[in-house]
Amino acid sequence: MNQTLVSYLSQYEFYDVLLAVFGKNEGLLAFTIYLLAALAIVGLCATIGGLGTYAERKISADLQQRMGPNRVGPYGLLQFLADGVKMMTKEDIMPFTADKFLFYLAPMLALIGVFATLAVLPWSSGFMMADLNVGVFYLIAISSLVGVSVFLGGYASNSKWSMLGGMRGASQIISYEIPVTISILAITLLSGGMSFGTILSHQQGTPVNWFIFHNPFAFVAFFVYAIGALAETNRAPFDLPEAESELVSGYHTEYTGMRFGFFALAEYIEVFVVCGVGAALFLGGGNLPFNLDIDIIPLQFAQVVIFMTKALLLYYVVIWVRWTLPRLRVDQLMSICWKYLTPIAIVNLMGCAIWLVVFNGKSMADLIFGSH
Amino acid sequence: MFVQLLFALSALLTVGCAIAVAVTKNIMHSCIFLLGSLLGIAGLYATLGADFVAVTQIMVYVGGVVILMLFAVMLTGGKDFVSRAQNLLGLAPAMGNKWTYAIGLLVGLVVLLTNVKLIMNISKAYPAKVFGNDFPSTVNQIGHLLIKEHVLAFELSSVLLLGALVGAAIIARPRKQG
Repeated sequence: MNQTLVSYLSQYEFYDVLLAVFGKNEGLLAFTIYLLAALAIVGLCATIGGLGTYAERKISADLQQRMGPNRVGPYGLLQFLADGVKMMTKEDIMPFTADKFLFYLAPMLALIGVFATLAVLPWSSGFMMADLNVGVFYLIAISSLVGVSVFLGGYASNSKWSMLGGMRGASQIISYEIPVTISILAITLLSGGMSFGTILSHQQGTPVNWFIFHNPFAFVAFFVYAIGALAETNRAPFDLPEAESELVSGYHTEYTGMRFGFFALAEYIEVFVVCGVGAALFLGGGNLPFNLDIDIIPLQFAQVVIFMTKALLLYYVVIWVRWTLPRLRVDQLMSICWKYLTPIAIVNLMGCAIWLVVFNGKSMADLIFGSH
Repeated sequence: MFVQLLFALSALLTVGCAIAVAVTKNIMHSCIFLLGSLLGIAGLYATLGADFVAVTQIMVYVGGVVILMLFAVMLTGGKDFVSRAQNLLGLAPAMGNKWTYAIGLLVGLVVLLTNVKLIMNISKAYPAKVFGNDFPSTVNQIGHLLIKEHVLAFELSSVLLLGALVGAAIIARPRKQG
């Protein structure tokens, strides 16, 4: 059955104390816990998204031998806050011929789609908003709202740059969803469940137990996932929907102020979510590198730190790739997806299934070091 | 309490957006309201404890069908499509005479009553009652049913989908001249 944050906390003694404070009203207490957790996670992720823009500029400056932002705050760390203030105070311009309703709706949909995925992101084995038994599947499904929003943003602006960007974005996102989903399906096969709890519980212990090292097919699947995820979040070398050298700024050309900020924030948070999911599926997530039979709150925070470290390292790689590789052409983009990634992903899926049958579900580490 | 709230919100979203789909004159807006309506239906599935079906609903319709419809609208539509009113009040004479309206009303009433009867039962069902068996989750249950009892239908539908894929590729392939 589904595990949630509340059902996790209810095994501790302070839950009973809280319950007494709330006058034995379990529904109200659960609502309060969820509300606080949601506020904390959204605040944290918005900060990560903001710092993501800072990291992007700083790392790109490093790669190009520049200084990057260094005026606001120590090392320019508060630059994203200054940018945020700038965006909020800017005039909110809408093109005269734009479709008003859709123009306002598109940035909201982008943020809703991204924030909804945070509900199942596994920060640690206990600190998950909800460990749905369809967790990964839910995440893939709800993040497709971002694709709709990119498309709508492009359409509603009533501008040719936006239109082209929106069309490219939608076709790119729904194309690359296929290899990504099939790669995730291979991991679902290995763990025997779609919930993040099940997936993480199979990767406990030393790094040889991570799914990326489970078998050679899973190793390839990780890279298929990484490439597909880059394309799904519209990051370079797949940033064709934005393509500033050909489409001005792509689907958000006509957006100004905070509406543009919503799109940018959604993109940076989505990159973090995608990195976190990659870390959880393939790199062991927040699992500690040793097995402990006790489960106390400080260990959960240690898990959060490990999870964040892995996710942010992947985030660094994403930025690094963006400033290293040139952009693809549209036809190259489509041929990479349909002629290379999708067949590779399908072969990986079948390979994982055959491996499970032939080696009776044992991983490479089990075969080399002997089963435990 | 929470289940009733979820049901009320989902039902409101479904019905409200469905009405908006029919009423609004802009076909793009119709598509977006359809998206809201389909999300509401996913919420209804979630109310019934069918989490897998709910997520599949979002996956298939929001991620696939609505985007496909938006594409289709944009690649085929013109200005005429946006401005033409599709209402019943005399502006669309091809929709029928008083007999067709009468029959339509009757059919609508029957469907409405049937749905009300169904919904009465649904609102009484709680998710806890859905799990009355030894499966840990609905995913396992659906998997067992698909591979064991309904394997023929499952395989046949996969053949049908493959046929649709191949057919679409053949229709869309560039024709050789001469």
